[in-house]
Amino acid sequence: MNRLLNRSLCVTLQALGVIALGAAIAQAHAESTLRVGLNADIRSTEPGVNRDENTDTVMLHIVEGLVAHREDATVGPLLAKEVQVSEDGLTYTFKLREGVRFHNGAIMSAADVKWTWSHYLNPQTQWRCLAEFDGRGGAKITGITTPDPLTVVFQLDQPSGLFLASMARPDCGGGGILHPDSVAADGRWKAPIGTGPFTLADWKPGQSVELARFKDYSARDDAGPDGFTGKKQALVDTVRFMIIPDAASAKAALLSNNIDLLPDVTASDAQELKALPGIEVSVSPIMAICGLLFQTNDPLLKDVRIRQAIAHSLDYGQMVTALSNGLSEPNNSAIPQTSAFYDATAKQGYKYDPQEAQRLLKEAGYRGQPIKMIVNKRYQQMFDMGVLSQAMAQASGLNIEMETLEWGTQLERYQSGNYQMMSFSYSSRLDPALGFDSLMGDKTKEPRKVWDNPQAQTLLRDAVRQSDTGKRQALFDQLHRMMIQDTPMVIIYNGTIIGGLRDSVRGYHSWPVAKPRLWGVSLAAQ
Amino acid sequence: MLRFILQKLGMAIPTLLLISVMVFAMIRLIPGDPALLMLGDMADPQSLADMRRDLGLDHSVVTQFLIWFKAVLSGDLGFSISTKQAVLPLILERFSVSAIIVLVAVFLATLIAVPVGLVAAWKQNSALDLGLVTTATLLLSIPSFWLGLLLLHAFGIKLGWLPVVGYVSFAQAPWQAMSFLVLPVITLTLVELGAITRMARASTIEVLRLEYIAHARAKGLSERTVLWRHALPNAFAPTWTLVGLILGNLLGGIAVLETVFTLPGIGRLMVDAIFARDYPVLQGCLLLITFIYVLVNLCVDLLYPLFDPRVKL
Repeated sequence: MNRLLNRSLCVTLQALGVIALGAAIAQAHAESTLRVGLNADIRSTEPGVNRDENTDTVMLHIVEGLVAHREDATVGPLLAKEVQVSEDGLTYTFKLREGVRFHNGAIMSAADVKWTWSHYLNPQTQWRCLAEFDGRGGAKITGITTPDPLTVVFQLDQPSGLFLASMARPDCGGGGILHPDSVAADGRWKAPIGTGPFTLADWKPGQSVELARFKDYSARDDAGPDGFTGKKQALVDTVRFMIIPDAASAKAALLSNNIDLLPDVTASDAQELKALPGIEVSVSPIMAICGLLFQTNDPLLKDVRIRQAIAHSLDYGQMVTALSNGLSEPNNSAIPQTSAFYDATAKQGYKYDPQEAQRLLKEAGYRGQPIKMIVNKRYQQMFDMGVLSQAMAQASGLNIEMETLEWGTQLERYQSGNYQMMSFSYSSRLDPALGFDSLMGDKTKEPRKVWDNPQAQTLLRDAVRQSDTGKRQALFDQLHRMMIQDTPMVIIYNGTIIGGLRDSVRGYHSWPVAKPRLWGVSLAAQ
Repeated sequence: MLRFILQKLGMAIPTLLLISVMVFAMIRLIPGDPALLMLGDMADPQSLADMRRDLGLDHSVVTQFLIWFKAVLSGDLGFSISTKQAVLPLILERFSVSAIIVLVAVFLATLIAVPVGLVAAWKQNSALDLGLVTTATLLLSIPSFWLGLLLLHAFGIKLGWLPVVGYVSFAQAPWQAMSFLVLPVITLTLVELGAITRMARASTIEVLRLEYIAHARAKGLSERTVLWRHALPNAFAPTWTLVGLILGNLLGGIAVLETVFTLPGIGRLMVDAIFARDYPVLQGCLLLITFIYVLVNLCVDLLYPLFDPRVKL
């Protein structure tokens, strides 16, 4: 019997040994392959159409727009050599760079730009940002002309301070210029043929997306990379995005040198990673708006004094230190800290003042009625923000009850305005006008809007039309002051992006736009 | 035999029909809107309405069901809302990944657990039995994700023998594919080992008490022959039922393990589909899993007479 047992165990162990041997053989990887962890697969290869954050990240390595966001989130030329705006703000003339090649070898011309934009403006394409250019959400493009092969002229029906910023939006695929062969004759999407520093080599759904260096890439003459523009040179042969949904497995992969870079790790993981040999972290504030939303139509919270009391009951410094492990600063403004419009006025937020909170509550006749706050566990930071807020508000006599929902359910409640209070984060808007726009509107038409103030909406409309920086600054300052007064939500901070990387990765850093950029990044010999 | 197979398959049709109605209705009872989840916090009413129309979500639930069901009858499970991929090839591809892990792991677990259970029963109440039962109970109690992370840490990070993330199909690179599957297979084998060992032990103890075993021993047969030739075949029949149940259960997806080991299996596909409210993928996955359950149970029933000749089909 013992021999029988031994024999079966030996067979099993031998089989496992053979498998392990194969594993060791398979360890090797090419030195010029940069392996990057992504927490979910991309949705498609069509920029700005069927997309999400990860899709944008990958696609912005393949396609490039006429303009793009710089390191400080302002907009600068990319495929354009220069951009001229007419005095009335209705004509934008883009002079294109010469000799820029598409991935199929063709030279990019004004005709390609016109074709691409006609493709985006065709409702059949289902481009995410169509509303920003057809008059529904801003100025309407009334015509696109190509006076010569290197000049494209866009005509608008009204001036817009957001025209270039909308063109550059990462979620719009950066308005990436495509070769017409990207689309089949029947209008079906084939594959992205862009001008970016990388080409799409292989996409294995659920596993990985591989990009290859584009050898004929035409880089700008700038000193170096600058946000999504500047001198963008691919310094590795291949970039492999590996889909790793589990955060613990992703961290393990980084530690075991199975990946080189994790663009988004949590603040607590960052502390741990920083202490480990061979691992570095890169931290940057981002432009998200994280805070607590109030339903201003709620019988209780329609009283501004109760909303202000909640705002005064929160110790922002302590809360943000806890939420970000000391990596972020509080910000009560809808203007992100990294924005060029973040000035002394925007810095004036709420004061932590429990006595004032209690005074306001007493004045409003608050007698401890429960206030329900929706949180979710998909995004830990939203949950933690809710927990900390509840505890701090309780110290001032507020009775906040937490209701934990699945993210999809919370999003539906947000969209319908069916909540009293909610811990929420808005994704990054790179222009303050877009940030304010996400919060403001007529609640009877759009229940998701948090701040319904007709006077503020008039100011915002001015800011959208205005292209003069000084005038826009004054409008944003005024909006900020009004928002602090109305307190339709309490903005707490803008969040951080933390990249974890092996010390063999050179030239990578996190930035306010959050999306990883892998041009200008190389691998030291290991 | 043929009649039995046809009868069983015939019974699967109303099951699948009922499941399809239930799945379709229940998925839509979950709060959350696929169009909203795709557009996120930037969704304006017009874009949302456009997307709902494009996804066919503007029809009534009954109309949506009829459209889907008609397509299913012609073998078309539709397209994923998130990725626009055809559902049938997508789930078959993902199922193959899960199936390899599950089949290998359950095979290995059975191969190890049955002799171990046999020995434990043979040496009942001895120190060896106590050790084996304790180990089996421990393995049964360990959560698979924890064991998986532990193995990842040991063999992936500390020893560096095996890759921590990634997947390559066998068709592409067999050796490399094995390196990615070793840890998930070992984890699942260890987790299932406990249950099968305990079942094998319990049924062997029952068999060893029967008179025919005493008779065999009285005839002077060696213990090895008694156990191997007389006890095992009868003790294995109940274990085989358990193996069938485990197989059916695991083939429905090992979402936790697939997530820990970043394997593109059907379990992870289903979890992603739930989060994204990707109705066609979820419906397709659940239909396939129901069908697999029916099929596995049929196979178990068909193979039962091989282990227990008293059973006739």
